[in-house]
Amino acid sequence: MTTTTAPPGTQALELTGLVKRFRGEGGRRVQAVDGVDLQIGRGEVVALLGPNGAGKTTTLDVVLGLTEPDAGHARVLGRRPRQAVVEGRVSAVLQTGGLMRDLTVSETVRMIASLHRAPLAVDEVLERAGLTALAGRRVARCSGGEQQRLKFALALLPDPELLVLDEPTTGLDVGARRAFWTAMRAEAAAGRTVLFATHHLEEADAFADRLVLMAAGRVVADGPTREIRRSTLRTVGVTWDDPPADAVLARLPGVAAVSRQGARLVLRASEPDVLARHLLTRTPARDLEIAPASLEDAFLRLTDAPPGGPVLEEPR
Amino acid sequence: MNLTYALLELQRTLRIWSSTVFSLALPMLFFLVFGAMVPWGSVRLAHGDVAAQTMISLATYGAITAAAGMAGSAALEQHQGWGRQLALTPMTRGGFVRVKVFVALVVAALPVAGVFGLGALTGAGAEPRVWVLSPVLILLGSVVFACYGVAVGKLFRSEAAVGAASGLLVVLAFLGGAFVPLTGWLLDIARFTPVYGVMALARYPLTDGATPTLSGELVQDPLWLPVVNVGAWTLVLGALAVLAARRGTRRA
Repeated sequence: MTTTTAPPGTQALELTGLVKRFRGEGGRRVQAVDGVDLQIGRGEVVALLGPNGAGKTTTLDVVLGLTEPDAGHARVLGRRPRQAVVEGRVSAVLQTGGLMRDLTVSETVRMIASLHRAPLAVDEVLERAGLTALAGRRVARCSGGEQQRLKFALALLPDPELLVLDEPTTGLDVGARRAFWTAMRAEAAAGRTVLFATHHLEEADAFADRLVLMAAGRVVADGPTREIRRSTLRTVGVTWDDPPADAVLARLPGVAAVSRQGARLVLRASEPDVLARHLLTRTPARDLEIAPASLEDAFLRLTDAPPGGPVLEEPR
Repeated sequence: MNLTYALLELQRTLRIWSSTVFSLALPMLFFLVFGAMVPWGSVRLAHGDVAAQTMISLATYGAITAAAGMAGSAALEQHQGWGRQLALTPMTRGGFVRVKVFVALVVAALPVAGVFGLGALTGAGAEPRVWVLSPVLILLGSVVFACYGVAVGKLFRSEAAVGAASGLLVVLAFLGGAFVPLTGWLLDIARFTPVYGVMALARYPLTDGATPTLSGELVQDPLWLPVVNVGAWTLVLGALAVLAARRGTRRA
């Protein structure tokens, strides 16, 4: 890394009251980012989740100094974003484009390396991105996964402390996606701070320690992956011959919704343990199964949440 | 300027053979037809002959066409999102434009060398100062068109716009007297256009500023006229190119 390091205790990323507007169709002003506060400590691996248009890419553009916010401010390792980019402390794998098709893989890396102040060796970066065998290949002839690994190699060049990935696996097949995350995991294990935007829930689940959910330009939930999952309702499934009517079932402890799948009942519950104890001790229900809420459930619930809907924890 | 980056970019530009060969071959062919094989080629001018004047005009035309061709590569880069990639490096907008101008000047030097070489072989007559100064002045003037190309390519990334930009270049070349001499009010307007300035500057060592008109008489341009013209257009289009390079960071 570069010779001077940020003072200890400095956050990897600090966004305060970030607002960014765009002029949309018909001159209507669109609030792409609407008051985002976010702090990320060093060494954290954070997923930024949200539907299209949630403001993820705009937020990341501000972090990278590619666009200026209309209000609020961003600090990357205690610096202005552009300064952090110039010093090579932050770099990114961009969502779309970003490569010239008529260059070869190694030419691309050499060109970008020549612009950095203290880049890693070109061979080392190619090696770490698994591109050594493809060095002489034209970018246009590389598969989507190979192009994504090339962008990853470019992001490694300045040996950044914060690595930003904007939907890095969009359009990749399962194998390419797995190869990409394997390379990424090695970087995270080495203590790099990683912030990635995605709408693949399983990726966020598998890779991040912390989830930040965005919807309509705001952070709607922020917390450890396990907590977010737990904060939503879980389901309790039972086999119950000759069960009572739905209205009766709905009055059982903590039941929020009832559905029937043949002989099985599936009850959504906020306190599944309490419900399970009740079902097994006071009713003829048997064959009980508690299923964790999928992250997808949590995601949909939180990003569609009407005002006053479920709140997990105060966004940090 | 970042030499490693510039050389890789140059290599990439020269790899597109079609445009390189075209920008080299066309002015050379024109010179053979309109310069070397015409009977009035040996008519004397202040420091050489008419063949040398045609040589300078066509070399200038080739150089500015080649330099403005940066529009195509800049537009392609813009389209492919390379500008966003560059924005994640310490490279400044000024640094970006300097690399483009450097590459444009190397590419522009090819037709200049080709046409001047052909002129020497076919006996275009000029004093030594013409052979030394005119090529240098042509390249100096080509900076204007390198900036023009970068600005157009970055501002309008569609191919249609780039095509329109090369069309405009032909109009400017006409106003610059590259094809036929001008006269009257057209000449008065032409003096403010960029190709005119570069042409007049490049010819100055040969003609001392004497400019042929359509009516056959010569008018005299003082040296300050092309100097101010080229200087002003370099400032205007250079600033525009740097401003346009800012667009590179936007999402495609």
